[in-house]
This record gives sequence, structure tokens and C-alpha cells, in this order.
Amino acid sequence: MNCTEFQEILPEVFEAGRTAEQAAHLKSCPRCSGLLADLDLIAREARQLQELAEPSPRVWNSIEIELRREGVIHELPGGPVVAPRARSWNLGAWLAPVAALALVAFAIGVYQRGWLSPQSAPQLTATAPAQISNPQPAKSQPANNEDQQLLAAVASRSPAMRAQYASNLQNVNAYIRDAEESAQADPNDEEAQQIVMDAYEQRAAVYEMALDRSLP
Amino acid sequence: MTDAKKLQGDKLSEADAIERAKQGDAEAFQLLYSLHKRRVYSLCLRMTANTAEAEDLTQEAFLQLFRKIATFRGESAFSTWLHRMAVNVVLMQLRKKSLPVVPLDETLESEEEAPKKELGAPDPVLAGSIDRLRLQRAVDALPPGYRRIFVLHDVEGYEHNEIAAMVGCSIGNSKSQLHKARMKLRESLKTSRAEKATKPW
Repeated sequence: MNCTEFQEILPEVFEAGRTAEQAAHLKSCPRCSGLLADLDLIAREARQLQELAEPSPRVWNSIEIELRREGVIHELPGGPVVAPRARSWNLGAWLAPVAALALVAFAIGVYQRGWLSPQSAPQLTATAPAQISNPQPAKSQPANNEDQQLLAAVASRSPAMRAQYASNLQNVNAYIRDAEESAQADPNDEEAQQIVMDAYEQRAAVYEMALDRSLP
Repeated sequence: MTDAKKLQGDKLSEADAIERAKQGDAEAFQLLYSLHKRRVYSLCLRMTANTAEAEDLTQEAFLQLFRKIATFRGESAFSTWLHRMAVNVVLMQLRKKSLPVVPLDETLESEEEAPKKELGAPDPVLAGSIDRLRLQRAVDALPPGYRRIFVLHDVEGYEHNEIAAMVGCSIGNSKSQLHKARMKLRESLKTSRAEKATKPW
């Protein structure tokens, strides 16, 4: 068996396993064995993409609005599951979204400067918020003060929703860290930096959703 | 640990959430959404390579699911039911976009789109590692026909016979498209690795 013959039947080799003749060719041919190893690697790594991305919080907002409009969601006899928005907020609760938005604006400014002047990119580690430049896994890192304030505000309004928002914040913070690491690995990669900004915007959207749910 | 199992460790299991959602409980709907949103959105994003479109399709898939949740009897796993619904929503959307419908078996590839044969000079291999973001970008850059089969098989884990039924092609065509998709991804990943190696950073 030569390389041409082997590569003709390669899709079947993946599906049905290899014959003795094919195995012998692989053993003697680094090109075909390298090809097979690469394709196998791609197939295995593709599973990582299964839950890579997170939709914007606005998706749920739109779904909820539509379900309420259609009457699919309705209040239970025991009272509303999602409590109505509180009439007043304490100072800490208002500071939280402001801090988040300031963080977004700050990050955008830093990265826009980075695009204009690639030489300034190595300074990002020093100037970016510590919470984002810290590459520790999300599960081992406690939420920062702003997050804690937001969660306290959510809990006071609707205790059942606190865990949900804690999870959302944990996810979005992990997303920011992943995006930051990629952007720092290749500061000239504009797409990676765009992903960082998207991640910050998602975090701001979580705050916005928590504090101003636009329910009908 | 999956999100569903984590939830079971908390106060409300997925089964409870489904039952409460059937009664119209908003919190239950949100919990079900939270458990499955990443998988559904990722599927939509991989299939369309467009975030705005993926969000619209995610919204549509969940809306369809929640409208029909009263009919869910639990014969199959909820995630399987939801996922199949999401795939159908995406495939329907893709069919609408690509009208007039051309059977996949008849799709011709241009020279540009077809993966190169791996013959001739020795070729560098990927050496056992792939950067996740680069893989994501390479998948996004696949021609739509290849991307559809690759996502359904390698990312989502559907078998060729299931894909053939969902997409409307032969099993052989599904296998062939998958192989070409993987070959094309290998080319893209090697190219992006070579470009990265030439950069000063």
C-alpha cells in the first residue's frame, strides 16, 4: 500500500479501524502516520468547543419578555418568583454597576491605545485590572468587591436569583481571564483584543441585567 | 461535574425545574436556560460563525422548547430533546438562507475550498497540541457545508446516520465532508502556527 491508496481510504480508517496492511503502512510512513495523528487530534480537541461560548444576558431577557407576553410564564399562586424591582437601592448597589461600566471604559481605553501603539502592549499586564490579569482558575477565585455588592443587592431583592447571578459572574470573569490571556499571548492580535472588550461588555451586561431587568 | 449535576446538589433538580416550568414558573425556566444555554449557543455559533445570528437562533430554540415543554414526557433526556430542537432550528435557518436548496451530495467544491492532498514533500505535524481559540477561528473559517458536518459530528457527537437524516444527505457524503473539513482545519492550523512563529511576539 502506498500513500495515495492509504489516503483514499482514510475516512474509513477513522470509522472502521485499520487493517493489518494499513497498520503496516502507517508504521513505515511518517507522513501518513503524522496526518492520521493530526486528524485524530483535531477530532478530539473539537470537543472543547462544545461549550466554549456564552450568550449575552440579553438573550434570556428577550426570551423571558416573550414568554411573559405569550403567557407561558405566569406568576404562581404563592406570589411572583422573580420579585419586582426594589424601589430604592443602597449606595453600594448603585456603585456596583458604575464601577463595572468604569472598568469597561478603562479596559477599552487601554486596549485602544494598545492597537495604536503595539509597543505599549507589554504594559497591559501592569495597567489592566488585577482581577482580569490574574490567570487563576475561576473556581478558586472569590468574587471581587463589586461582584459581592451586586450579589448582596440581588439577594436582598430576590434570594432565589443570587446563585444564578453568582454563576453568571463567575462565568463572565472566567471568560475575561481566558480572553486576557490570549490577548496577552499575542498583543498584535486585534481579534483577541476585540474578544477581551466583548468579555468586558458581557460583564457590564450582567450588572445591567441584575439591576434593571426590563420586564414588562 | 456537569451543570445539571451541580444543580441536583442544590435545592432544585432539573426534573423539578421541568415540572415547575410546566406550571409557568419563571425561575424554573431561567434555571433550565442557565443549564443549557452554553451548549445551545455554542452549537448555534459554530454552525453560523456569527454571534448576532447565533444569539437569535439560541433565543428561538429556547422559545420553541419552552412553548412545548408541557409535552415533554421524559422518555428521552431533556438535554437530548433540547439539543435536537436547537439543531433543527439552526438547520432550518441555514436552509432558508441558502435557498434555492441544493442537496449536499450535489455540492461542488471550488479548487480553493477543497483541502490539499497530503502527498509529496514531508509536512510538519501539529505536534500534539492545538490552541483552542485558533481551532475556533479555523472552524469559523470553514466553508459552511464542511462546518455544518464537522460541528455536528466532532463537536456535538452526532453519528453519521443521524447527521444524514438531519441534514438530508447520504451517510457516505457525511463521512466525506467530515474528512475534508478535518483536512482543511489541519491546513488552517498549520498556516496559523507558521504565521505565529514568524511574528516577533
